Amino acid sequence: MNMQQVVFPKSSANGFGRQRGDREVGARLENKMQLGKSNQGRIQTTGALAVGKTVGNESFSRDRLVYLTTCLIGHPVEVHVKSGSIYTGIFHATDAENDFGIILKMARLIKDGTLCGYKATTEFVSKAPSKILIIPDKELVQIIAKDVAVTRDGFASEPQNEKHQEILIDSAISQSRHVEVERELEPWVPDEDDLQCPELENIFDGPWNRNWDQFETNQKLFGVKSTFNEELYTTKLERGPQTRELEKEAMRIAREIEGEDTQDLHLAEERGVDLHDDFDIDEEMRYSSVYRGRGVDDSGYEEDEDILLDSHNIETFGDSYDSLSRSTDGVRMPSSSSLVDDAPSSQAAISEDLNCSRPNDQARQLASELPSKSFSVSDSESRIRDKLLGEHGGSSDGNEFPEKQSPSEDLQLSKSVDSGSLLNDKIDGSDKARRSANPTNSPSNALSKVSEKPNSSGKLSEGPASSKATASGGFGLSPSSSMGSLSSEKSTLNPHAKEFKLNPNAKSFTPSQTPVRPLSPVSDGSFYYQTQMSPLPHMHMPVSFGIGPSFPGHQPVIFNPQVAPIQSPQAYFHPNGPQYGQQMVLGQRQVVYYQPEMQYKGRDY
Amino acid sequence: MEGEEFAVGCFLSIKTTLGDEFEGQIISFDRLSNILVLQEGLESGPRRNIRLLKANHIKEFSLLRQDEDPLDVKKCFLDLTSLQAREDSAIRQAEADSERLGVGVTSEAQTLFDALSKTLPVRWDKTVIVVMNEVRVSSPYLPESVSGGTPAANERVRKVLEFERKRMQTRGTSQ
Repeated sequence: MNMQQVVFPKSSANGFGRQRGDREVGARLENKMQLGKSNQGRIQTTGALAVGKTVGNESFSRDRLVYLTTCLIGHPVEVHVKSGSIYTGIFHATDAENDFGIILKMARLIKDGTLCGYKATTEFVSKAPSKILIIPDKELVQIIAKDVAVTRDGFASEPQNEKHQEILIDSAISQSRHVEVERELEPWVPDEDDLQCPELENIFDGPWNRNWDQFETNQKLFGVKSTFNEELYTTKLERGPQTRELEKEAMRIAREIEGEDTQDLHLAEERGVDLHDDFDIDEEMRYSSVYRGRGVDDSGYEEDEDILLDSHNIETFGDSYDSLSRSTDGVRMPSSSSLVDDAPSSQAAISEDLNCSRPNDQARQLASELPSKSFSVSDSESRIRDKLLGEHGGSSDGNEFPEKQSPSEDLQLSKSVDSGSLLNDKIDGSDKARRSANPTNSPSNALSKVSEKPNSSGKLSEGPASSKATASGGFGLSPSSSMGSLSSEKSTLNPHAKEFKLNPNAKSFTPSQTPVRPLSPVSDGSFYYQTQMSPLPHMHMPVSFGIGPSFPGHQPVIFNPQVAPIQSPQAYFHPNGPQYGQQMVLGQRQVVYYQPEMQYKGRDY
Repeated sequence: MEGEEFAVGCFLSIKTTLGDEFEGQIISFDRLSNILVLQEGLESGPRRNIRLLKANHIKEFSLLRQDEDPLDVKKCFLDLTSLQAREDSAIRQAEADSERLGVGVTSEAQTLFDALSKTLPVRWDKTVIVVMNEVRVSSPYLPESVSGGTPAANERVRKVLEFERKRMQTRGTSQ
């Protein structure tokens, strides 16, 4: 056989460039490319001038051939050769100068013409793919390619496909293309003879209520003596003379609550009330706890609780926001972030974690108006939470408690300011408040930073601070959160504060290498990160989040997927191509956030 | 071959010296290299099935009809960078795929490998399927051919293998 199998060293990006050991081919390929490029123009003109449909003009037909073979580049093709063998591979190049021998990459023999007879496919034995396969013109019989993009439209639709393929979706990873067709799913029904599941709810019922005593069973089977004492886990029930009445009273209250009317799907389900008749609800709506926004009629309590909270706020703190003194402007990362304790000493102007200290009322206002997710939960929140916020999932965290705080506390309020747009209404108030309040505050540029960090600060829950986290609970506003709802709320913010104006020219903060941050107010810009910022030095210092009183300043770190290519031995990284593999590697890095140094002002509770 | 008959746009029915038979529409015929470029299928959408045939391998052909030039030169367009990118990603994909393909193994073995790889980490070691780096399944890939590994792992691989074979059988017979 005249096949040449040449294994070239893995060349860099340009398949059209010279390859070691085969300059000729390289040269020819380059020429072909030249032809290819210039062909564009020529094809157009010759097309325009084409006389009839004859192919008398040689260069015309040659051009077409070249054009079409160029279209094949990168395409999987099947090549039939004289001996009857069939190779399949990725079309790499053709020798356009001479006789159109072709070069395939990653070629495999799928039918061996040299073997007599025809082997059944099940027995066909596979061969290793060759990195580069050159098929001389003499051997060539035909080249078959399917679904070749021949015209502009074809090309246009391609890149998207390629891009999508590069993204490793789960099914690609799990090679599930080998899975056969899905089977018909049927809901599970218990077998006839399955034991009825023991009631799991009434765990504190006496054993006489159930026919199953786990402790007894364990004792019998394993000889384990139980030390379970119900009263360790729940309030001790005083069984005195009053028991009867107390019980009756409790039952009454329980019945009342359970009998309440509810529009909430989840509560209704629990109580056995069937709300599903009217609308088309699928499982997701019934059982998911994902908060989908105010528009979705998942809970009937939204309006009520907001009003309730507002009134709480006003009661406790009155309407004025002047005590906004210590603010630091907090522009916070879109998601989560609990309150950070430390005082804002003006460095706060950081996009990630701008905390403004301020008494709760503002926090509360905003909190109540920001039904979106917040994460740091403090114990105090549980109080309101039960009744009102059950259905809100995350949102409840953001709401604080009126009873608790004294105005002297500095609650750091983290709010995220989404590129100015969404929060404008609400931010106005707070910003204004902040500005007017504190001249020593970091300058206005603080606010002008817009935090862009997408994934952010997931867990900025500081340990000690978590209890303080009540106030801001997370203004983790993800951009997708129902910020729109804010505008619908009545504004209780400080009408005298200066309006927030996004300053796009604000300097960006570039962290220096020194671990010690200067204590001066951060006037040199915000900690505004875009993940595409290439000049940033790559710092990967893990950052701890618990803010103690003497927490040293530390480096801001960002998760930058665009680091220099990492050479991994197995995967083939194309320097110019999409770096999907590398992102996989990077994915294991921790996402760390910048935590500004805050002076701990000693909130005590 | 006369120029007339290889005019662009003609529909031909061709039989090759290798025994292939097909029909296609001529996009181009290059005398110098003797390559006939055909388009198969009738759609003149943006993507087509293309065949390049060496004219000296045409055993016989017949002209079905004459039609218009299937290639609209005004729409012809080459984006070399995206071609290059396409090639590179195809190569990457092929390399990744080749990890999974056994060399010198039957397609049945390959199917078993693929099935195992759905839930277990598998790799090829020549013609031996290595599961979880300890259990080895060699030709003929029967439950008896499973060796190595802890008893539990061994058992598991056997079970999966049995199951897969059963599935293959039922699939084979039902089709």
